[in-house]
Amino acid sequence: MERLYRNLWIISLITSMITLENITKTYHLADIEVPILRGIDLHIEASEYVSIMGASGSGKSTLMNIIGCLDRPTAGEYYLEGRELTTLDKNELAYIRNQQIGFVFQQFNLLPRATALENVMLPMVYAGIPKTERRIRAEAALTHVGLSDRITNRPSQLSGGQQQRVAIARALVNQPAILLADEPTGALDTQTSQDVMNLFHQLNEQQITVVIITHETEVAEQTKRRIRIQDGQIIA
Amino acid sequence: MVSIAHNSASNPLSSQGISRLEIASMALDALWSNKLRSSLTMLGVIIGIGSVISLTSIGEGIQKSTEDSIRGLGTDVLQVMAGSAESGGISQGQGSVTTLTWEDAQAIEEQAPSATVVSAYLQQQAQIVYGENNTSTTVYGTDLAHPEARNTFPESGRFFNDEELAIASSVAVIAPTVQKNLFPNQANPIGESIRIQGEIYKVIGIMEVKGSQGPQDRDDAVYIPLTSMSARIIGNNSLMGVAVNGIYIKGEDESQLDTIRFQVENILRLRHGIISPEEDDFRITNQADILETLTTILGLLTTLIVAIAAISLVVGGIGIANIMLVSVVERTREIGIRKALGATERDVLSQFLAESIVISVIGGGIGIVLGVGVTFISATAFGFPFILSTTAIGAGVGLSTSVGLIAGVIPARNAAQLDPIVALRSD
Repeated sequence: MERLYRNLWIISLITSMITLENITKTYHLADIEVPILRGIDLHIEASEYVSIMGASGSGKSTLMNIIGCLDRPTAGEYYLEGRELTTLDKNELAYIRNQQIGFVFQQFNLLPRATALENVMLPMVYAGIPKTERRIRAEAALTHVGLSDRITNRPSQLSGGQQQRVAIARALVNQPAILLADEPTGALDTQTSQDVMNLFHQLNEQQITVVIITHETEVAEQTKRRIRIQDGQIIA
Repeated sequence: MVSIAHNSASNPLSSQGISRLEIASMALDALWSNKLRSSLTMLGVIIGIGSVISLTSIGEGIQKSTEDSIRGLGTDVLQVMAGSAESGGISQGQGSVTTLTWEDAQAIEEQAPSATVVSAYLQQQAQIVYGENNTSTTVYGTDLAHPEARNTFPESGRFFNDEELAIASSVAVIAPTVQKNLFPNQANPIGESIRIQGEIYKVIGIMEVKGSQGPQDRDDAVYIPLTSMSARIIGNNSLMGVAVNGIYIKGEDESQLDTIRFQVENILRLRHGIISPEEDDFRITNQADILETLTTILGLLTTLIVAIAAISLVVGGIGIANIMLVSVVERTREIGIRKALGATERDVLSQFLAESIVISVIGGGIGIVLGVGVTFISATAFGFPFILSTTAIGAGVGLSTSVGLIAGVIPARNAAQLDPIVALRSD
């Protein structure tokens, strides 16, 4: 019986996109230990459309940083597509960020001097993809988010919604395992927010795993599964 | 979008990263977007490399020209100079008392078996006038052996002869520069009368061109009989005979010079009544000795000046380091973005190191061009040979690259080690 459970557990690791097991994160401020995450268990399957909700200070940003391989947990295990990540070194984590994670930020985080096309090509630069292929794939990604006529514009020449769509194209261009969006509508007005949410919905329909971190209920309600986090623990 | 299927990161180390060309072009882009700052930063390296290159090359040129001119005087010649007389232990300077005489020269010729050519001379700066034209030049009173001793012969006309020397005849042989200054429109001045310090002399010959390298222009001279010079131009004969400024002595070849030196020393000490511990009242020099001394001094001076120039290169490097540090702070967010998108520490390090090296190498390139230009202009203006010092250019390329590399290390490391979370949060 025990053996069966173990096998099932292994199968679940392999089939799930993200598995977090008892993840904790503690910051050390001088002599005080500040626990941010207190034992997070989380499974996200491939092609899921998930939101992680929580008030500020709940630990959701830290959770996002850990899922996005920008930060490491203090303890616990993190499996991404069945692979344990907490033992990887900095270079390997950079490679995971490049290949398996697509980031979308609240402040878009585009390079201001680069055109939309150049911004979208950037992850492929670090992937070592040849220049001609980069261009083809970046143009395809921009077309996919409906910006085929804006490829030579710089971020300052684009509206907020357009900038966020460039950022989404950039996040998708290396065909990552998950799209990780941190407050993606936080800097947008209602109408543009809805456009961006529609885009996420559409991408999820194409089997892309989307994880959105947000504190807005209206955003969370549009996802298929809502995870609530409070004081460093998942409450729902 | 055709394929939504994602990659799976099976082998993290299979990532090839970015090519060097790509890094360099990224660096150029970044520098281009901040043109004023980049060019001001470059200026330090431009000045540094420019001055190292030009000073090295100018130094080499001057050294070469000095060597040439000294070698032109002949390294197979010994020169006896009237030594500095001492009065109460205080040296009064060379030629302050004319202790050498023409008779000394004649004695050397007769008594020193190894000396084949002996020529005494008097020398004085004097004003020469022909009609409206006048020029200041060096007048040499010489004997007949002078052309052979100095290896300079008349191009046209003739040198004065035995008889003219004996009777102190008023004849002059002029060198090309004097000819040009006094007779600008006259092809053949032979037979014309010129005035040397008011005394009338007839031009009987024109010397060949010896070139005017170095400090001494050998073409700016007038030659008259020693006897005439002594009697009419200088007029202060010593009690011992006809005073002269110096004597040139040549042997069969250069290897004879030491023997000749020994013989001449003995003859002159005997004639001047100098007994061993007493100091000689003459000096015997050899052009080769002078050449060696001068080369050493010039080499030392060049090294010193180049060392000073190199300091400006160090200052230029500090300028680059400074600007790169500022740039890293300004671009913290950019670094965060790049890291989130998969840039490794090494990628970020290379990017900033490349910017620093590109600034320095472009600056170095401009510096080299500038240095070569300055050298060429100086060589043309001051008349020394234009030598393109390949070592200097090689050093310029090497130096600028290493300045950029060294200056970039700390800023690039700062950038590479930025925590992406912190970097993304900054604005």
